Amino acid sequence: MTFFKAQNPQGAPSRRTLIAGAAAASAAVVAGLYRFTDVFVKHYAPTPYDDVLVALADRQQAAKLGALVSDAPAPQALATKLRGAIKPGLAAAARADTASGRLTEVGGWVVPESVALLSALAAKV
Amino acid sequence: MLAPDLAIIGGGPAGISLALALASTKLNILLLESGGPNFDPQNQKMYAGSQSGLSYIALDAGRLRFLGGSTNHWGGWCRPLDEIDFEKRDWVAHSGWPFPRKALDAYYPRAQALVEAGPWLYDKAGGSVTTLGPLLPLGDGGVYTSWFQFSKTRDSELPTYFGHRYEGELKRAPKVTPLLGANVTGIRLSANGQQVDRLDVATLTGKRFTVKPRLTVLAAGGMENARLLLVSNDVMKNGVGNQNDLVGRFFADNPIPRDVATLVSFAGPLAPYYGTNLKLANGPILQAAFAPTQAFGRAKQVAGSLTTVEQPVDLDDTGKAAVITTALALGVDASKASAYSLGCGMELSPDPERRLTLTDEKDALGLPRLKLNMRMAEKDFTLYHQTLRELGRQLLASGTGVLKINRREDWSKSMDWGNHHLGTTRMHDDPKQGVVNADGQVHGVNNLYVAGSSVFPTYGASNPTLNLIALTLRLADHLKKAVA
Repeated sequence: MTFFKAQNPQGAPSRRTLIAGAAAASAAVVAGLYRFTDVFVKHYAPTPYDDVLVALADRQQAAKLGALVSDAPAPQALATKLRGAIKPGLAAAARADTASGRLTEVGGWVVPESVALLSALAAKV
Repeated sequence: MLAPDLAIIGGGPAGISLALALASTKLNILLLESGGPNFDPQNQKMYAGSQSGLSYIALDAGRLRFLGGSTNHWGGWCRPLDEIDFEKRDWVAHSGWPFPRKALDAYYPRAQALVEAGPWLYDKAGGSVTTLGPLLPLGDGGVYTSWFQFSKTRDSELPTYFGHRYEGELKRAPKVTPLLGANVTGIRLSANGQQVDRLDVATLTGKRFTVKPRLTVLAAGGMENARLLLVSNDVMKNGVGNQNDLVGRFFADNPIPRDVATLVSFAGPLAPYYGTNLKLANGPILQAAFAPTQAFGRAKQVAGSLTTVEQPVDLDDTGKAAVITTALALGVDASKASAYSLGCGMELSPDPERRLTLTDEKDALGLPRLKLNMRMAEKDFTLYHQTLRELGRQLLASGTGVLKINRREDWSKSMDWGNHHLGTTRMHDDPKQGVVNADGQVHGVNNLYVAGSSVFPTYGASNPTLNLIALTLRLADHLKKAVA
């Protein structure tokens, strides 16, 4: 099964994504339904936690996972905790969690605690 | 009346291995097998019994009563027990063998030859399979890739059925007399209870006769060994070797929940030796499994387990979200990710109340039938959960995948059993804690021994056949010295 191609959230989209996006955008423009950027880039309504949520490359997918986090704190508390935890970057935080055994089972999925909390925040906003 | 030097009760893997191991000695050996050369429904009915407690396989369904015993339906899975399986573990009540694993090391090669599992590779197999695909990187941690090997007969037909395979050798051995259709109905002790005086034997066709052996080895299987000791209660009122009410207690099996977890490999399909039996060019048949390291077992006090890849599975939307989110967070490419269900063979902790007792119901020869009280401690599953969680941690740490641990209640829905009947005549130096001593001799009865997995005091997660054969070969060496 094929899910996706990981990419640097800060970097440029891949050539394949560009071609697919251009094709889809062209279709949308022709139909007069969407602005180009609506098709090309995911847009989310602004939240007070965007400085944290920006660490997620795919907030929609994370929200699906985060909806299963039980007993998650309120968004503000989550964001406060995450600002410290993911300061060195989400990948570094996830690896540090894993190395020290800070894992959370979310719907049975064994994931780093920082990933679980960030996903929970994505689900709450 | 027959008067052999050695009577072996039972023609399964233990009895046959013992007879073959002693065939070239001066001992006249009588091998008493209740069944014939092939399955017979009437004879199989002798195994029927009743149950209480947790649902378990019918007592006449998980074992076979004809020459070769339960190897006639085994899957051929072989793996030696680990050192830790023999250790007294303070966190496991009643644990520990009276000797370490190394006491069996000299016997494993011959046991391996008897089960025809090819060259001894096991945990060295990883170096032999790299051309077939890479091992799943797990990095450092408490779980490692371990290996099963498989019994095979010539022409690679799985596996070795001991009756069919060795009947000819038994018949050709001048000092061995295999007697089929011979049901031992009683082990009769001398008046002081310290010697086997004779064995009562009957056939389903109505013949009855007596055997007066110098030595007797009970090798009738993990349930029937206990039954024969318990029914032989004319001198020792609680049964032979049961002066401390231990015979039949501590019954165990390896539960096999089939869908305990879902493993996602970020890099794509796993190598074929995960999930299938793979034959190498030089003969051995292998399958990989995930096992807790012994250091992890000791540190985290988890029990033995062997987690196997079962089959590819599709993920639901939540599963895909978990994989995408985790891989993105780790900065790993998961575009070719593949998912698999995992199953497991688990070790149960010893439990004296998980036991076999006699009932008032009788079989065709008048022997009381067995009743099994089956139960499992939830703690055993909790400990296994820790092992799975460690596997999940290592997958994340090495960036190779992610694991979903299924709900405990779902494990029970797909629960299978190994049909490994263990522990009912457990081995211990102290007669108050074991039925047989370290040599397999029944405490207090000088010329009676027990062979087979019924003597395992703790069980491990490895399939017992290879191990019980190694233990039986050790007994053969002891008997050689005893009669020399």
